[in-house]
Amino acid sequence: MSVLTQNSDARTLGLPEKLRLEARLDKARFNPASLVLLAPATVLLLGLFLVPVAYAIYLGFTNLQLIGLHAVNYRFTGWANVNTLIHDATFYQSIWLTVLFVVGSGAVGATLLGLVMAIAMQDCLRLIRQIAGALAIVAWTLPPTTIAIVWKASSTESGIIPTLLGNPNYDLLYDQAMLIVCLANSWSLAGLAMIMFSAALRNVPEEILAAARLEGASRAQTLFKVTLPMLRSTIVTSSLLMTLLTFGNFTLVYLMTAGGPGNQTNILPVYSYLQGFKFFNLGYSALLGNVIVLISAALGGLFVLLGKQRR
Amino acid sequence: MTQDVQPSKSTELPPWSHLTPNKVPRWSFSKVFSNIVISVLALFFAIPMLWLALASVDKNATFQTKIPVLTAEHYIVSLESGNLAALRNSLVISLVASAIGTVAGFFAAYSFSRHHIVWKGPILLGILFLSGVPITILIVPMYEMFTSAGLLTMFPTAVLLGVTALPFQIYLIKNFIDAIPRDLEEAAYIERAKTWRVLWSVILPLTMPGLASAALFGFVNAWGSFLIPLVLISSDDQQAAPVRLFGFVNATSIDYGAIAAYSIIYSLPVVVLYLALSRQFKTGFVLGGAVR
Repeated sequence: MSVLTQNSDARTLGLPEKLRLEARLDKARFNPASLVLLAPATVLLLGLFLVPVAYAIYLGFTNLQLIGLHAVNYRFTGWANVNTLIHDATFYQSIWLTVLFVVGSGAVGATLLGLVMAIAMQDCLRLIRQIAGALAIVAWTLPPTTIAIVWKASSTESGIIPTLLGNPNYDLLYDQAMLIVCLANSWSLAGLAMIMFSAALRNVPEEILAAARLEGASRAQTLFKVTLPMLRSTIVTSSLLMTLLTFGNFTLVYLMTAGGPGNQTNILPVYSYLQGFKFFNLGYSALLGNVIVLISAALGGLFVLLGKQRR
Repeated sequence: MTQDVQPSKSTELPPWSHLTPNKVPRWSFSKVFSNIVISVLALFFAIPMLWLALASVDKNATFQTKIPVLTAEHYIVSLESGNLAALRNSLVISLVASAIGTVAGFFAAYSFSRHHIVWKGPILLGILFLSGVPITILIVPMYEMFTSAGLLTMFPTAVLLGVTALPFQIYLIKNFIDAIPRDLEEAAYIERAKTWRVLWSVILPLTMPGLASAALFGFVNAWGSFLIPLVLISSDDQQAAPVRLFGFVNATSIDYGAIAAYSIIYSLPVVVLYLALSRQFKTGFVLGGAVR
């Protein structure tokens, strides 16, 4: 395209007089329309997301209370909350439980469950495959409140799981709270992982599998030496996605156990909520929220880093 | 493989017709194993749901899973005025949240996809990061802000719920707009169409599946949210369905059947919406932005 036609294009685009001569069409230009288009999202995200987060960082260093004297007349207390935090045994326990919950039931549990399902479904009877797939997907689409209720009902005293284990009077949810909460979380996320792995498995080229068979590889060898290495990037993506989804999963744990019994399932989001709205320490609760922001920033950084490596 | 070699129109048998192909065993160990694994997992997924279905129609429902004495009374109780109102509140909240997020997300996504924006990369990364942050962190500051402004009601909460879905919606819609060839817009611009006109007549129809997925995501996100309505809606008659449901569980005399029936009524719209729509845009909703 010659310079001449470029200029005449500029004219037909209806640019202002001055720009017609100066504008370079080979470089991206600022478009005033973008201001209007970005305005609603910017206002919403600033006003109801970023400003609150910034405000929460400030509140984390105050003695704000939910009720009482410091509900209105609160003040900046500097490192007082941080001091409480580093001497708070429950906080350390909570961090450990969060890691256990997020890694155990999210990054590993849900991903593994989804992976096993997607692989086993490949040579499975159609009917069984469809039923299992539909059940996993329904479990994934259920709202968190329903998941919590359903799991509470099946794992508590006289529920179906203790009954199947042979002792209906055994309160599994009380005795093995963390295990059950983790199972419930994996249960609810495995459907998504399964969908991701099924899609990835369809993209494994048939020729490679045929070549492996031709070389006399057994089923197990094909699986571990060909299929799984080819799924590596999906496994990483799924683990990180499940990590994020599990980390945000306040509702499930809070409704099933409310952090109990005796802090056994007191993961960080639940602990933050309990500090604020049960013990009324809103300031300290906000500080715990800040810790959550730091952790998710670290996770997000990891996400970006791994994404870059893959490209 | 053999068919490629065979001349296409010959009727006579190929020279290797006396050879029989290798038999693929109908049942191999791995096939049996796979079927067992999947059956066990299907049971694992079904067992917790079984209680829900049976208890909702059982006259003497408890946390036990047993053969029900059929009754419909739990569903009738679940649709009593207060419970129905909670469902209606949830519907209004979710629709408002979904609409706000989708519209704002559409405009922003178009701009991010097509316009020259300073620091576009870092901004988009920041938005992606926001979509992964646990919403719990917003509770304390939003509670403080809404209390001091006297906004502990339905609609401000709906707007906030819309915003919590917005980062992911922007990403989702942007992926769809990125896939639209630019030629169509350029043709429209050459015909002196304004940005609005291009958005409305060119981009909007082509992004419909993406917008539908984004709207669905926004709706499901708001519909399922428990914590935000719990803290930010103060009056009972504006309360959302999940909080109402939680009230059932914490009541002094627990009505197990009603819990099950209300859970089903509350969950059904989301499950049905997802199952009905997912076929139409399989690629979009499930994987759209989540995997990238």
